Amino acid sequence: MGAAPLVTDADTALIRVRGFRKSYRKRVAVDRVDLTVPRGTIFGLIGPDGAGKSSLMKAIAGVLAFDAGEVEVFDVQLDSEAAAERIKDRLGFMPQGLGLNLYPELTVDENIDFFARLRLVPEDALRDRKHRLLVVTRLDRFKNRPMKQLSGGMKQKLGLVCTLIHEPELVILDEPTTGVDPVSRRDFWTIVGELVAEKGITALVSTAYMDEVNRFHNIALLHAGTVLATGTPSEIHALAPGAQVLVQVDPPLTALAKLRQGFPQVETIGKRLCVYVDDATPANAEQTVRRALAGYTLHSIQAGEPDMEDMFIALLRRRGLIPIERVTVRQETPVNAASSGACAVEARDLTRDFGDFRAVDRANFTIAAGEIFGLLGANGAGKTTVIKMLTSLLRPTEGLAWVAGADVREGGTAVKERIGYMSQVFSLYLDLSVIENLRLYAGIYGLSRRQAKERIQWVIEMAGLAGHEGERPAAVPVGLRQRLALGCALVHRPRVLFLDEPTSGVDPVGRRRFWDVLFRLAREDGVAILVTTHYMSESEHCDRLALMYAGRIVADATPSELKQSLEDDAGELLEIDVADSTGALTLLRDVGFANAYMHGARVRVFARAPGADRHSVQGILENAGVRVVQIKCIPPSMEDVFVYRITALERAAAEVAA
Amino acid sequence: MKLRRVSAVARKEWQEILRDRLFFTLAFVVPAMLMLLFGYGLSLDVERVPFAIADYDRSATSRDYAYRFIDSRYFALQGYAKDDRELDPLLRDNKIRVAIVIPPDFESNLLAGRAARVQTLIDGTLPGRAATTKGYVSAINAAFNRERFAAQLARSRGLTLETARDLAEPIRLEVRYLYNQSLSSIHSLAPKLIMFILMFTPPLLTAVGVVREKESGSIYNIYASTVSRGEFLIGKLSPYVAISMGNVAILWLMAVMVFGAPFKGSLLFYLAASTLFVACTTAIGLLVSLIVKTQLAATIVTVILTMVPAIDFSGFLVPVESLTAEGQIEAHLFPAMYYTDVVVGIFLKDIGPSTLWPNLLVLTVYTAGLFVAGYALFRKRPRT
Repeated sequence: MGAAPLVTDADTALIRVRGFRKSYRKRVAVDRVDLTVPRGTIFGLIGPDGAGKSSLMKAIAGVLAFDAGEVEVFDVQLDSEAAAERIKDRLGFMPQGLGLNLYPELTVDENIDFFARLRLVPEDALRDRKHRLLVVTRLDRFKNRPMKQLSGGMKQKLGLVCTLIHEPELVILDEPTTGVDPVSRRDFWTIVGELVAEKGITALVSTAYMDEVNRFHNIALLHAGTVLATGTPSEIHALAPGAQVLVQVDPPLTALAKLRQGFPQVETIGKRLCVYVDDATPANAEQTVRRALAGYTLHSIQAGEPDMEDMFIALLRRRGLIPIERVTVRQETPVNAASSGACAVEARDLTRDFGDFRAVDRANFTIAAGEIFGLLGANGAGKTTVIKMLTSLLRPTEGLAWVAGADVREGGTAVKERIGYMSQVFSLYLDLSVIENLRLYAGIYGLSRRQAKERIQWVIEMAGLAGHEGERPAAVPVGLRQRLALGCALVHRPRVLFLDEPTSGVDPVGRRRFWDVLFRLAREDGVAILVTTHYMSESEHCDRLALMYAGRIVADATPSELKQSLEDDAGELLEIDVADSTGALTLLRDVGFANAYMHGARVRVFARAPGADRHSVQGILENAGVRVVQIKCIPPSMEDVFVYRITALERAAAEVAA
Repeated sequence: MKLRRVSAVARKEWQEILRDRLFFTLAFVVPAMLMLLFGYGLSLDVERVPFAIADYDRSATSRDYAYRFIDSRYFALQGYAKDDRELDPLLRDNKIRVAIVIPPDFESNLLAGRAARVQTLIDGTLPGRAATTKGYVSAINAAFNRERFAAQLARSRGLTLETARDLAEPIRLEVRYLYNQSLSSIHSLAPKLIMFILMFTPPLLTAVGVVREKESGSIYNIYASTVSRGEFLIGKLSPYVAISMGNVAILWLMAVMVFGAPFKGSLLFYLAASTLFVACTTAIGLLVSLIVKTQLAATIVTVILTMVPAIDFSGFLVPVESLTAEGQIEAHLFPAMYYTDVVVGIFLKDIGPSTLWPNLLVLTVYTAGLFVAGYALFRKRPRT
């Protein structure tokens, strides 16, 4: 018989979970979960908030007792506290919450020292490793800064350094990228990718961002406490085969209604409609959609692979886990000319200082009625300050702004009667029922009894709250609670709506419904909407985007214009499928492709000279002995735009400082 | 047990306490501040009670009677009132606490051998104070009566005033207050205040310090690492005990220097017994922190759990012997009472371990019990 070693599960699996169940009091958080994590891979747990990711990760890290099933890590059955202790010298665990497990009063240096000494890392090894990790994470300049003064992205990198300082074989990272700006997120993934490749460690990472799926070797999709599917990203893709078609069509509202009759998954993305066509190749899908839209004016049509979020929803839909909603779409109502296109918000050299710190620096922009305007930027870029000035909660230091015709410096009622505002933390009264909350807000805005009744009816229909009127907000899903908060902001029929990170913590299905409501508000009622978000995929829903950096607006254009100008500046985006992606990345960076980055197992790079660079990249890699499987040109995402623009600005700022 | 891990935890804790403004204040400022506030604010002495007189008689005798009050160090005259209608607003506005109303026929009644009725109005809002005030009034009144009786006796029997006085008051009390000769309440209050502050601040600091880690999630650094439960608890709690020991010394200095409380016992014994007590109260904080989840809950539970026994069931304001039977049982359940006996005994009576050992034994057992419970309740792999 041949002596070829059999590669079995037993040899490669580092984590094995079988029939896992965890409940809190009566609520079952996770049930019947089976999972195998191979050694030396990045394994992703993907799912919305409340899917059970954290409970599962804590149990695997040996810091949470569970009810039933088996969890085996490093061949140790975690069936008691004593057993769990036996694996702890070999693992690093970073709990959820940006930098929350760090010590705010301690400096970067002291935080790392604490973690190292807790793990008995010898002092000389600590010095070496600390230096190396601080350089990699570019935190070395901030060594003596108290942790509480770090930005979100820096906190997250410090958390990673602290988790890695004792060189664990397994790192468990619970939503490390939530709430972190795209530049820091990309840095983070590069560091993790390199570590896994260099040291052969295993990483179990959870995320609520569907677009991060390709960062993983293997993933498990979690939904409502159970595993929906496991496999490599491409295996997952194969589970809900289909294609996605983006069309720009006139008139959009009836086209949307028409498409929704024929296709189960249609959403609006900015001015375009996105149709998911089950079991179709892109070419077929395009044909199908064209046929369905016969008689409409097609401005553009583009078919391609679906993104992960669409996939996830398609999978849920195919398994019957989400109810298919029959959305009632009203007849095309011509938005009256007076409101459409009229200027709803105008900011002229809007500036705000806090002491010596200039939070917003001469911001200029306009928002037309019926337009969805997105404000993008890292934490602390000045987004919230802009909103506070426009809602007249904060007085501008300099500059002018008008909201729905009212001067914000006059402040007070004139502005407040014409705007709606919804914050990150939905300001709802959890002990009042849905309808009572709406009535309360109607009362606060002084609506007459008749007006209130009429508007509340409208809000219930618009926000999809029908059937939940008597329920308490605390008891309904986050998505519904979010739409109720939106409804409360709409009761007084505002002309301008401000939304500050409204979709944080809401699952993809909920987020889509929310955007549907926003779309109708803008298109049917001509409401101008200003929204901030840190989900890059969501920014595509906006008609126009302004990018903020250090208090300034550094770009203001439609999403497609932004992408176009990126390609004009940086070249086409190439995705390179190679055997040794870490090696390829280092190589490309060394020869001057500074923008190269790791995307899952693939490397992406901007080709400055289209066509020419594609071949030179292949040449460079093959000359160095890296086997290239495939190089293809892909459309850049909003994340690419954001990262490219912000890194360029950061570099410029660093040069000025130096 | 690895010392390096213990010291890593202790050092981190120490740095956090020093740098976090809230913790710094709670650790180093609040105890001394409480001592000052309560020391000056809670004095139980009744002196210089503001009062007014309405003298309808305006005779030599009534003036003489009134001067007995005016001259007393226990009363401070705010003025004469024309009639009792003027007294009401003064009493209502707390301008005076006592009013003495001398009737029109005061002198003539006395001269005729009839009893005169003097009306005394006392503000009863603070019953303890009112009772003491009434005692002062009665004493001054009795002395006046005695004088008149002795004078009368001397005149009618032709005795010397001296003999007449002996006849009028054949038995006299000789009172000497032991341990607190001047009967100054702050002298016995100061050591009790030390008890109160040490009962309250160490557990609050500890409970909030531990729960903070649970609330933020940094406790997972401990759960997920190789540090043992014992190492963590020792490292985490030792800075809190050390700070409280510092406060034991500071509070002693304040009691002696600021409030002039007499200290008769052994300083060494005081420090040793107090260290045992702060270890005990720190353990209460630990236990609270293991049961609750938020800093707010930790604060509320600690305040209730420590303030109530420290104020009501420790002999702080009311002696334990004067409590109801249920109250006495409660007093015996909390450590406050045992330490009160110890600290008051050391300060005022120079009592040593030979007498106080049962109290110390109870405190030791209590402390050990709390730490064992804390160790057992602290899990590195909890259910939630």
